[in-house]
Amino acid sequence: MMLMPPFELHHPKSIEEACEMASSFMELGESFDWVAGGTDLLPNYKWHINVKKHVISLAKISGTDTISMTEIGAMARLSAITESKDVHPLLAEGAAKIASSLIRNNATLGGNLCVDTRCFWFNQSEDWRRSIDWCHKEDCGTGSDCRVIPNQNTLCVATYQGDLAPSLMVLEGTIHLIGPNGSREIPAEEFFQLDGITRNVLQEGEFILKVTFPENVSSRVGSYHKLRVRESWDFPEAGVSAAWIPGDGTTLRVASTALESIPRLHSEQVAKLAGKFSSTHIKDLSEAVMKSIKPVNNTTLPPRYRKAMVRVLAKRSLNQILEASE
Amino acid sequence: MSGGYRQQPGASGGTTRKDGKRVAGKQKFPPPGSGGSHPNMAPRDLDWIPESVGGNEPQPAGSHIHDRYRTGTSVGKPRALVDSHAKVTGQAWYGDDVRLPNEIIGKILRSPHHYAKIKSIDTSKVEALPGVLAVATGQDAPNTFGVLPVTKDEHAMAVDKVRHVGDLVACVAAIDEATAMEALNLFEVEWEVLEPVFDPRKGLEDQDEPIHWRGKYHVGKTNVQKRVFQEFGDRSLVEEPSASSHGKWRMEGVHHGFTEPHAVVAHWDPNGRLQLYTPQQVPHYAHRALSTVLEVPMHQINVIRTFVGGGFGGKSDPFPHEMCAAILSRKAGRPVRINFSREEVYWINRGRHPSHIEVKMTADEEARISGFDIDALIDGGGFASFGHVTSYYNGVLATAPYELGSFHYTGARVWTNKPASGAMRGHGAVNTRCAVEVGLDEMAEQLEVDPIDLRLANLLPPHSRTISGFRITSNGMREALERVRKGSNWDEKFRQMPLGKGIGIGCGFFISGSGLPIHWDPNRFPHATVHMQIDMDGGVTVHTGAADIGQGSTTAVAQVVSEVLALPIEMIHVRSHESDTSPVDLGSYSSRVTFMNANAAIRAALDIREKLLNAAWEMIGYHPDVLVLNDRRIYYKHDPAVGVSYLQALHKAQEDKGSLIASGAYRSPPMGGVHKGAAAGLAPAYSFSAYVAEVDVDVETGLISCTDVWAAHDCGKALNPLAVEGQIIGSCHMGLGQVLSEKMVYGRTGHLQNPNLLEYKIPSVHEMPNVTPIIVESSDPEGPFGAKEAGEGPLLPILPAVVNAVYDAIGVRIRELPLTPDVVWKAVSAKTRSLDGIDPTDLPAPRLTHSPLQATLVERGTEHKARDKKRQRSEDTSAYVNGVLFGFDPEIPMEDQVEGWRTAVEPDPEQLAELGLAGKAWLKQEQRHMGGEQ
Repeated sequence: MMLMPPFELHHPKSIEEACEMASSFMELGESFDWVAGGTDLLPNYKWHINVKKHVISLAKISGTDTISMTEIGAMARLSAITESKDVHPLLAEGAAKIASSLIRNNATLGGNLCVDTRCFWFNQSEDWRRSIDWCHKEDCGTGSDCRVIPNQNTLCVATYQGDLAPSLMVLEGTIHLIGPNGSREIPAEEFFQLDGITRNVLQEGEFILKVTFPENVSSRVGSYHKLRVRESWDFPEAGVSAAWIPGDGTTLRVASTALESIPRLHSEQVAKLAGKFSSTHIKDLSEAVMKSIKPVNNTTLPPRYRKAMVRVLAKRSLNQILEASE
Repeated sequence: MSGGYRQQPGASGGTTRKDGKRVAGKQKFPPPGSGGSHPNMAPRDLDWIPESVGGNEPQPAGSHIHDRYRTGTSVGKPRALVDSHAKVTGQAWYGDDVRLPNEIIGKILRSPHHYAKIKSIDTSKVEALPGVLAVATGQDAPNTFGVLPVTKDEHAMAVDKVRHVGDLVACVAAIDEATAMEALNLFEVEWEVLEPVFDPRKGLEDQDEPIHWRGKYHVGKTNVQKRVFQEFGDRSLVEEPSASSHGKWRMEGVHHGFTEPHAVVAHWDPNGRLQLYTPQQVPHYAHRALSTVLEVPMHQINVIRTFVGGGFGGKSDPFPHEMCAAILSRKAGRPVRINFSREEVYWINRGRHPSHIEVKMTADEEARISGFDIDALIDGGGFASFGHVTSYYNGVLATAPYELGSFHYTGARVWTNKPASGAMRGHGAVNTRCAVEVGLDEMAEQLEVDPIDLRLANLLPPHSRTISGFRITSNGMREALERVRKGSNWDEKFRQMPLGKGIGIGCGFFISGSGLPIHWDPNRFPHATVHMQIDMDGGVTVHTGAADIGQGSTTAVAQVVSEVLALPIEMIHVRSHESDTSPVDLGSYSSRVTFMNANAAIRAALDIREKLLNAAWEMIGYHPDVLVLNDRRIYYKHDPAVGVSYLQALHKAQEDKGSLIASGAYRSPPMGGVHKGAAAGLAPAYSFSAYVAEVDVDVETGLISCTDVWAAHDCGKALNPLAVEGQIIGSCHMGLGQVLSEKMVYGRTGHLQNPNLLEYKIPSVHEMPNVTPIIVESSDPEGPFGAKEAGEGPLLPILPAVVNAVYDAIGVRIRELPLTPDVVWKAVSAKTRSLDGIDPTDLPAPRLTHSPLQATLVERGTEHKARDKKRQRSEDTSAYVNGVLFGFDPEIPMEDQVEGWRTAVEPDPEQLAELGLAGKAWLKQEQRHMGGEQ
């Protein structure tokens, strides 16, 4: 059904106003969603998924779309990041691989980080979901079971399919949050939180303000490889980012996305290299990264294949950053 | 301003404005213009007049019966479709653009169960909701309908049980969409859930409650909707083959993916007649079904075809929502609109059948194809739709373009609890064609010969008969193969490229118009009728029921009329939208429109032409035999100054009669065999095509990118080369989707998991290869100006071409469609495991060293080329039937000269044990009188 369900749209003009608005809704017990570009939220609304009574748009708040090497505002459009000469090339590359150019013109960095987790039992019309008697992620008050892994209605295993998160992690990005209870900063790898329903650390009323990077971020060399059926606009079925400061194995970071409910930084696997990184390590490291993830069957391609591809993507990303460092 | 002969009636000359544009002068005959902005006749362009009638247009395939009606006006000239302005300016009115005053919105309640009995439906709460104006359930319209008269198994809404998730249960009309949607939640339905069947193999087994009863002849207690057995030729030839290929294929179902979702508006006018607006490929089927379901005579229904935003076979069935809109509108007394969401489009489906196909092929020591043995089990979903025909097409359309020693086919279509499969571009022929062409590639590899030469040495010639009795007329298969070979630089690339790069060949064969008009006897009624009318203004109004679904049928009809009457195409107005005004016509399916409607239009135009020439004869005294039609003027052949304008001749012809009216019809000649099912696959002409595809395969990820396609299609004569190229490129796109990424995914629970355009992966423009369309013109003797179809046939070869190219690239033969990356990866992994676990990047790329047989094939191909040319140009008119290649005499019936030559449509009892998967349907006995309609 493509008729948009009714909701009230609010346009705060400043961050303060937005926070006040959020806290007043919270006091009234009214449900609300934030909307940035709307390319994720609104299609879900049209499917009648988790529709809220109020939607607060961040679009009219000025100064939240800045773009520089060390700081990107949450409202920066993906197309602007793609085209910008100032951002880290890895982010421009990652942003360019997201969806289609039309969607990138609207979609934002903040929205991409907060993109709802996806699952083919969930991203469906209301009639469709009724035919499976709903699911754990959107149970419509029925207490329905998870349809991916039946007989457990405690965990949602919907897959996070944002493209930029792993690149933020390997570039040591910090995510700045703001809300009625003030602001806080959090490393990108700690922003995401299990499970597919919780998704991240955002408290009610909180939203992403900006992402910052360390001063030396420009010396990092990075690479992102994405698996998808159609290069033109598909969500990632798997994605691996890697970055380091050339010559310094202790700075190597590898992260993956689109494989589980949250994107992951693979510090444990990298730590096994004990600060060394050369072409001889690529095979084992890629293998180790692959073994550490457990995709489930809820996206287009089967999990066994996606898992196997993590090794290939990791290998390609690692090879590329080594080659670029020569 | 160049010289020429004035067009307008009236004597005075025009003036020239300051800006150089000529303004026609005062005329004695006031209102009509000349029919064109140019006042003078354009000179006759001999480049567009065929050689055979004194022009310069080359005719390598020989002359054509319509040559003498060529005027060089429209035929063969690339031109934009006549409705393109309406489309590019957004003014074309599609289903959702119709807005009637006082219109209300209808919504459909759909089944949440795969298979269930409806015990009761309580609509009282729905009716009580303010804003609800009408409610209907299956009980309101219990009559069955179906696209084929032999398989009427559908209802407007479920009467007793639902057969798939999304099946129609009830409907409601309300003042707006939100109210209607709210109303859907108020229906109270009591269900008795039944055990569903999803796997077509399970459908072959007995079930307590089959999805439908097949009426008088139910097959056991199974879900078999149709079973087919056909065997022709000498089966002893397949013993001890020199090469053989045995493949079991699994092909997923695909959907047409047209842009426009279904939309319908129904309105009972003040006189109590139903006016139904719908984007239909075949308005006539909808017309018939509406009459049956609503119990209203056909003349009280006017079906108005809106512009159709893509059909591809998916809008050719009469649809239950069309009935629902009419029922709701009748109840509410107001126009009712029903628009589909994309999910609903997938639930009504009618896409290509998910198929299990097994193909065994053999070749003898001379590399002649001694046998095709095909078994196709196709998954019909919840309803019959076109399935009866699809069941035949999966086999019989593989009987050409090659000469076969024997042919054996078993097919079965089963009902399952899924959305119904139906007709889709390349109807029934696509999947087996892919399997067969890949099998040929495999046999060529075993014989160590080039697969193109293998094909060239086994082709049926023009004017021949296939093993199943199809009459082949024109045949451009050889030229198509030769041209793609040259265009793609095949000889430099095949089996010579590095790992990951590959090139492959595939051919196609398709009907150009089904020989059997489903609803009537072709001996009594014509396939197509076209009416034509010209009044004083000189404009030609053509009435046809040909449904333009974007393929350009309106343009084709306008072009041929324009050609015959030598009028600019702007003067031809095709009216095809309403059943009230158009003659009965079977619309756009089976690639029939250009062949049948353009032929009918030519006949009507010839009638008008004769009247005009006779009028001119009276006026200038020259017999029509020496008169020439050219650009709005009729003149004496040897002195263009002696002539009359078109309008003068028209007005003369109109004296005493008023407007000129003519009617033309097309009927196919008697043809085909007499065995059961002989009519399936019969067509007055057949198209042929050959594609070469080049691919890049990422051996590690299994991702395939098709980079280039050389696509040669024999369309007889390209009436509009631009439209033909468009069809070829569009077919490539659609076929690539099926071979690379598109599939309807039914998961663990039988639910269709990807009913949306994000997850149903149609290739985007980014995934499109560079397609080089190559038009082959074999000039069909019965086609309009030599034309055959170009709408469906061009889809067939792209699938096997890509599959064969993937083999050339990585040396792995995959028999599972689509070739999604995980499928390729799985096959590559199995191969690397068998090679001691080597890295995929170290896989050996396949190579070819020719065996001595190659020279034999090249020699035979060269001989056959000379043979074909003579036959094509009617220099050799001797009989040729399938079997001559094996040394048989075409003049004597095969049964009389070959012991063991069979024409069988039922298996012998001793064959039963060895039949394939679909053949198992023949193990069941028919049971009579089990209820149902068939």
